Amino acid sequence: MFGYYLQLGLRSLRRNPVLTALMVLGIALGIAASMTSLTLFHMMGSDPIPWKSDKLHYVQMDNWDPNQPYGSDGSPPDQVTYRDAVALMQAGKADRQAAMFRVMLPVQPENPEVKPYLAVGRATFADFFAMFEPPFEYGGPWDHGADAQHARVMVLSHDTNEKLFGGQNSVGRKVRANDVDYTVVGVLKEWRPRVKFFDLSSGPFYEMEDAYLPFNTAIELQMQSVGNNSCWNNFGDGWDAYLQSDCIWIQFWAQLDSSSRLAEYKSFLDSYVGEQKKLGRFQRPLNNRLPDVNQWLANQKVVPKDVTVQVWLAFAFLAVCLINTVGLLLAKFIRKSGEIGLRRALGASRGQLFAQHVVESGVIGISGGLIGLLFTAFGLMLVRALYENYQNVAHLDWTMVATTVLLAIGAAVLAGLFPTWRACQTAPAAQLKTQ
Amino acid sequence: MLVMTHLQKVYRTHLIETHALRDFSIHVGEGEFVAVTGPSGSGKTTFLNIAGLLEEFTGGEYKLDGVDVGGMNDAERSRLRNEKIGFIFQGFNLIPDLNLFDNVDVPLRYRGFDAAERKRRIEESLTRVGLASRMKHYPSELSGGQQQRVAIARALAGSPRLLLADEPTGNLDSLMARGVMELLEEINRQGTTIVMVTHDPELAARAQRNVHVMDGQVTDLGEAPRFRKTPHAAAATA
Amino acid sequence: MEIRPILSALMRSKVALVLIGVQIALTLAIVCNALFIISQRIDKMGRPSGMDEANTFEVGSLGFGAAFDMRTTVQQDLATLRGLPGVQDVTPINRVPMGEAGWSTGIQLQPAQKTATTSTAIYFVDEHALDAMGVKLAAGRNFRADEIGFEPDFRNNGWPPVVIITKALAERLFPGQDAVGKQFYLGKDQPPQTVIGVVERLQAPWLDWKEVEYSTLIPQIRPYSTDIRYVVRAQPGRRDEVMKLAEAKLGEINRSRLVRNVESMEKVRAEGYRADRAMTIILCIVIVCLLTITALGIVGMASFWVTQRTKQIGTRRALGATQFDILRYFLTENFLITSLGLAAGAVLTYAFNVWLMTHYEAPRLPWYYVPVGFLCLWTLGQIAVLGPATRASRVPPAVATRSV
Repeated sequence: MFGYYLQLGLRSLRRNPVLTALMVLGIALGIAASMTSLTLFHMMGSDPIPWKSDKLHYVQMDNWDPNQPYGSDGSPPDQVTYRDAVALMQAGKADRQAAMFRVMLPVQPENPEVKPYLAVGRATFADFFAMFEPPFEYGGPWDHGADAQHARVMVLSHDTNEKLFGGQNSVGRKVRANDVDYTVVGVLKEWRPRVKFFDLSSGPFYEMEDAYLPFNTAIELQMQSVGNNSCWNNFGDGWDAYLQSDCIWIQFWAQLDSSSRLAEYKSFLDSYVGEQKKLGRFQRPLNNRLPDVNQWLANQKVVPKDVTVQVWLAFAFLAVCLINTVGLLLAKFIRKSGEIGLRRALGASRGQLFAQHVVESGVIGISGGLIGLLFTAFGLMLVRALYENYQNVAHLDWTMVATTVLLAIGAAVLAGLFPTWRACQTAPAAQLKTQ
Repeated sequence: MLVMTHLQKVYRTHLIETHALRDFSIHVGEGEFVAVTGPSGSGKTTFLNIAGLLEEFTGGEYKLDGVDVGGMNDAERSRLRNEKIGFIFQGFNLIPDLNLFDNVDVPLRYRGFDAAERKRRIEESLTRVGLASRMKHYPSELSGGQQQRVAIARALAGSPRLLLADEPTGNLDSLMARGVMELLEEINRQGTTIVMVTHDPELAARAQRNVHVMDGQVTDLGEAPRFRKTPHAAAATA
Repeated sequence: MEIRPILSALMRSKVALVLIGVQIALTLAIVCNALFIISQRIDKMGRPSGMDEANTFEVGSLGFGAAFDMRTTVQQDLATLRGLPGVQDVTPINRVPMGEAGWSTGIQLQPAQKTATTSTAIYFVDEHALDAMGVKLAAGRNFRADEIGFEPDFRNNGWPPVVIITKALAERLFPGQDAVGKQFYLGKDQPPQTVIGVVERLQAPWLDWKEVEYSTLIPQIRPYSTDIRYVVRAQPGRRDEVMKLAEAKLGEINRSRLVRNVESMEKVRAEGYRADRAMTIILCIVIVCLLTITALGIVGMASFWVTQRTKQIGTRRALGATQFDILRYFLTENFLITSLGLAAGAVLTYAFNVWLMTHYEAPRLPWYYVPVGFLCLWTLGQIAVLGPATRASRVPPAVATRSV
């Protein structure tokens, strides 16, 4: 029976090609607009590391100006100082922990054909790799010993390894940057989390680093952070004074595998800040926070306002398209009321006619959905071209493709329900009588 | 009232020419009740459309109430139609979205009467067909005979000189048909010229005069001889 | 003229009325609010930076290796760049306006003040800055060569005694007064800075910052680690040629550094306003699509109605309606439907605006958007219905006598 309905639906749609095209186009445009913005919203707002996002906690402590909170809403600073980062690393109270910051690495390739170029590095600890789980192509992370010894080691990104070593296994090879030789211990596969959640300080969609090196090595070599650097008071001249200052420029993450571990760590932090208060630091009220990944992303408002507004607008637009389709289907089905009456007279039940017309709307929905999918791909292409660094968030994944098609069919069937119901209402005799 | 002389109507498609009317001449006098009969395809409807200024003719001359309508533009024809002609259709042609009052109001709106005048005329004509009490009803709530009476009321509301009826009882059962027919006769008695197209000889016989159309030509003119009823004779002498 | 019967006929098909009405209402709400957002973005993008953007560009240098020396590099670079043909002037700078990265600090009017009066963007430049950036001096004087310091460690405190500020900042700090000669404090527990000049305008690097018009020029060459930038102003029309030349020359004279960020200020502006431009384009597309869909919807529904009422139209013609009467009937009908939708749409528009105001700090919609929106949609509706209405007016009156 479904096949018959499908055949009838297709024939009916062919009968008024312009009207059909109008309906399909309407659904396609509405779907494309809403799916483009929804994809952005979904990719930006959804959990970038769902299997452990509740275990990874960002550390915030309030060492800011006693006269003025860091955030106008009273929130503590969004990074930590060098002294505190080092103290927390040494205490080692979390299941895993990593302090980190971004550095510039002017790379001097061995290969004379490749000109020196600027790479951006992430100075961090060995636990970084176990915590954020970047996939390795060759080798692996450095060990805790390398952290302690300020070893000259590096983990390269996939692209950097392509550029410097033509994609070969470069573990054990040397990379020279700013006149220092580093030994490659590992090479990552392509690693592009949709949101760069472990360091939002340069924007949530900022490019990933080209290389990773031990935090202590970077400090020993006096590498300046190229992320955000905020200070609220004076400090002495020179690098050591800077390290001892209350300037914040380091991101600190702790992995806490259970809620009891979280509670323990919280109380550890409180007692740490309590001790520091005795030394005259942390003069603001105790305001430690340990947001997990999703809380941190929400707190940092990773999804831009523009995108949220676009989602609302797009769905209002979809509503217009749907209403439009309801109207056109209504027109079409009512015009067919003679045929419907005839079918009723020939023995079709109201339910059968209903099914027939729902199938017809479904066909419009599928066509609209498929064309809408195509439009969505164009839309995302446009978004990628219009915005900077949206490459990782402005692309379709299978969930969104499925959502698109289902949304389109759902929308069209929904749009078809009322007209179908209306058309099936009138008694067969009445429709036959009026010619 | 209605004078057609050597009228021609040719439908042209790019393949064929169809002569719907050829050398069609007829004279309908003031106050007459003329029935036009003829088989299907003989040109009855074409004659009626031209008489009612719904269609243009391709040759000959047509004078309505002494006015030559040849060469008039659409607006002039519409105006003339609105003022001088009332229509009654086989399918009633009431507007389903409008109630009886508004249906009768339609031609009056085009006529440009003021609100009070329109109201007076609507009520008067609906009263005349016996449906004044149902003014707020919609056509779908009425029987066929009642709908046709509304259509007659609508045709009369503008006080036309000429009433054109196209198979006015075609969609009605005989009881209702008789009612409608009597109403038409009554209207004719009060001075309105009526031209009625029908294929029903019994109905035609109730008219003053019969015109038979065959192959687009008037082939038989004459008084309707049989079934002459006394009321009409009385009216004719009055 | 015949509004009441049209209305009562419309009321007989409430569904169609509601459908088109809601569509018009939503369209009005979306279009008005989207247009408002667009106009705000266009205003924002139209703000001048205060620089001679057409003829200026930035070029950056990042030193590396043990042999690299910042001070000689800057001296050599400045001499080289200033000697290039087609160059009008050059200044060293830490970061450029509209570049989305830079230095900001709080300003205090009193040394013992606990919280800052306002924030300002900081540009470390030399005495060529005004000419090199094309910034207009509004009051006071420019820096002198002997006032320019060199600070190799950007972390160090030590603010020089004289500064130049923007007019907007001067007005904020010393409202209604002549700022030249006035003093304020850039650092706690440090000697004050004296304003020696006021420039017409120079924007901060952060375009979404509420203090975007507050900038302070500091007579100091202060690289960020081994990173320094220059703003080069070319003679009118020679920017692109000078840009290529500057990049090549800087690369040549010092192999111990990377020459990077060679970008015209026009490019910097385009990048800085990229999100705003993107939003504008996206909203324009949404508006166009929406109006098209709505117009096509009206065409579709009107065509359907015309087809459905062919007989009715014929009857009206038979009853004396002229072609123009029929045309007018459909135009009036559309006008009524549109008006009903627009009435609802006006409410929806303001509701949407209030929602944007509460959640997105949007300003209040100016009053004229809704009436202008009314006019646009009325026009759109009339144009859309014109086709079907014309077709309706061509329905021959003889249709009335046809039996089917």
